[in-house]
Amino acid sequence: MTTTSSAVKRPGTRVHVQRFGTFLSGMIMPNIAAFIAWGLITAFFIPTGWTPNETIAAMVGPMIIYLLPLLIANTGGRMIYGTRGGVVGTIATMGVIVGSEIPMFIGAMIVGPLSAYLLKKLDGLWAGKVKPGFEMLIDNYSAGILGALLALGAFFGIAPLVTGFSSVLESGVNWLVTNNLLPLASVLVEPGKILFLNNAINHGVFTPIGVQQVAESGKSLLFLIEANPGPGLGILLAFTFFGVGLAKASAPGAIVIQFLGGIHEIYFPYVLMKPMLILAAIGGGMTGVAINIAFQTGLRAPASPGSIFAVLIQTSSDSYVGVILSVIGAATVSFLIAAVILRASRKRDLEDLAEGDDELAAAVARTEANKGKSSALLGGLAGAGAAASTRPIHNIVFACDAGMGSSAMGASVLRNKIKKAGIEGVTVVNQSIANLDGSADLVITHQDLTDRARGKSPDSVHLSVDNFMNSPKYDEVVSMLESQKNEGVIS
Amino acid sequence: MSQILEPRNVIAAGTAGTRDEAIREAGALLVDSGAVSDDYVASMFEREASVSTFMGNGLAIPHGTNDAKESILRSALSLVRYDDPIDWNGQPVRFAVAIAGLNNEHLEILSKIAIVFSDEDEVQKLIDAGSAEEIFAILEEVNAE
Repeated sequence: MTTTSSAVKRPGTRVHVQRFGTFLSGMIMPNIAAFIAWGLITAFFIPTGWTPNETIAAMVGPMIIYLLPLLIANTGGRMIYGTRGGVVGTIATMGVIVGSEIPMFIGAMIVGPLSAYLLKKLDGLWAGKVKPGFEMLIDNYSAGILGALLALGAFFGIAPLVTGFSSVLESGVNWLVTNNLLPLASVLVEPGKILFLNNAINHGVFTPIGVQQVAESGKSLLFLIEANPGPGLGILLAFTFFGVGLAKASAPGAIVIQFLGGIHEIYFPYVLMKPMLILAAIGGGMTGVAINIAFQTGLRAPASPGSIFAVLIQTSSDSYVGVILSVIGAATVSFLIAAVILRASRKRDLEDLAEGDDELAAAVARTEANKGKSSALLGGLAGAGAAASTRPIHNIVFACDAGMGSSAMGASVLRNKIKKAGIEGVTVVNQSIANLDGSADLVITHQDLTDRARGKSPDSVHLSVDNFMNSPKYDEVVSMLESQKNEGVIS
Repeated sequence: MSQILEPRNVIAAGTAGTRDEAIREAGALLVDSGAVSDDYVASMFEREASVSTFMGNGLAIPHGTNDAKESILRSALSLVRYDDPIDWNGQPVRFAVAIAGLNNEHLEILSKIAIVFSDEDEVQKLIDAGSAEEIFAILEEVNAE
C-alpha cells in the first residue's frame, strides 16, 4: 500500500506527539467507567450532593486519591509491559500518592508506564538465562524489589515535584487575582483543573478571597472562575458531535455528571487525551470571567459541587442574567474551539482507530517474515483488536463452558507442545468462560464459544479452534512464542 | 485417593450406534459407579446441544454443563471404545470419554488422555488394543507432566 510506505518515511515530531496522545488516551479511556462510578457516588452522596449520606460519602476521598490514579497507573504499566508492568507501575504509584496531599493523576501517568519500562529493561538483563523452574521466583522477586524501590523513589522524588508545581500554580493565580487580571487567571486555572488540582486552587485561593468580597459587596465572581460548568460542558458537547470511538459514545453521559451533577473531574480525561483542548477550556473560562466582569455579577457563596443547580442557587439575586450568560457564553466558546480542534484532527483520529489494527498487522507481518511462512493463527491475531498489539504472551487460558473437559484437554496438549519446544515462562491453564477475569494474554476457545469469551475478556487476544486434539493452530502458537522469545533476547 | 478412571469403567466394545446412545452409555457408567446422579446425564445432552464435545482424532468427551456441577458426587471418568465410528455431529468418533470433574481432580488422567489422543500413532494403538486392560495400560503409562 502506498500510503503505508509514505507513512513509515514521515519523520518526527508530529508522529511522536500523535503517539503520545494515543498513549495518554489509552491510559485514560479504559478507566472512564471508574470516573463515572466515582462521579455518580460523589454527585449523590457528598454533603452538598443530591442525597447526602455521610457514611457512603466516605468512599469519595479514597476513590479519587487511590483508586483512580492506581487504575491509570496499572493501565499505563500494562500498555508498556503486560500484567507485570501493570503491577509494578501500580506499586510505584503508591509512592507518589502517599508522598503528597493532592490527587496524583500526573504522578500516576508518569510513574505507572515508567516503572513498567524499567521492569522490562531489568527483565531483559537475564532473559533466557534463568534456570528452568526458577522463573516464577525470579519474576516475582525482581518485580517486588523493583516495585518497592520505585515506590520509595516516587515518594521522595516525584511527589514533591508535583506538590511544588501545584503551589506555584496556586501562587500564580493568587497574584493574578490580587492584581485584577482576572480573565488571565483562566490561563492557569484551566490547566490546573485538568491536572486535578481544581480543589487546591478553588479552596486555596478563590474561596478565601471570595468570602472576603462577599462580606464587602454581597457577591463575588471568584466563586465562578473554577466552578463555572460552561467550559467543560462545551468540550463534552464537542466530543458528542465530533469525537470518535468510545470518547464520543461516553460524552453524553459525562455531561449529565459534569453539568448537572457538578463533578467536573469527569471531563478532565477527555482533555488529557487531546491536550490541545486545553485551549478550549481556557477560552471558555476567560469568556465566563469576562461576562461576569461586564455584568458585575457573582455568587453569594461557593458553588460546590460546580453543578448548574448549585451555581443558580448561590447566584446573587441581582446577578441571574450575568451568571447564566457567563455559563452559556463559556460553554459556547469552549464548544466552538473544541469543535475546531476535534474536526481538524478527526480524520487522523479515525485513522488512529483503524491504525490500532494496522500496527498489529505490521507486527504480524514482521513475525511472519521472521518465520518465512504465512499463518492462519497470526492472521487471526491481527483481527483480534488493537488492545492486543503490543501484548507479550505470558499466560494462555483455554476456556470452555464448564472448564472441565475440552479446555482441560486442549491445555494439556498445548502445554506438552510448549514444553517439548523448550519454551519457558509461559503458563497454560484451563478455566470456565464464566471465570475469565481479563488477565489472560491469549484465550483459546472452541470457535462457537469465542464470542462469549471475547465478551468476558475483551483485552486478551482470542483464538478459535475447531479441534482441541491436534489443531494445526497449536504449532503456530508455539512458533509464535518462540519468535516472541527470540525478539525478547535481542532487544 | 480413589481412582478417577477405574479399570471397570473402560469398555473395549461399546454397544451404542448413535451419538445419543453413546452419551447414555458412557454416562451410565458414571451413574452406576456412584459418581453422578441421573441429572448429570441430562446436562450432558444439554452441553452437547450447545457445543459439540467432539475433540478431534476420533475422540468425544461428553460432559455436563457448568451449572450441573452440583450433580457430581465425586470426580470420575469413563471410556467406551466403538468398533464402528459413531456419527458425532458429522464427525467420526471411536472413543467416548465421559467426564465428571470436581476441583480439577480429574485433570491428571484427562491430561494423559489428551496427550495420547493428540498423537495419531498412539490413537492407532488404542484402536488396535485387544482388551479394555490394554487400553487402560496405554493411558496409564503416559508421562503427562
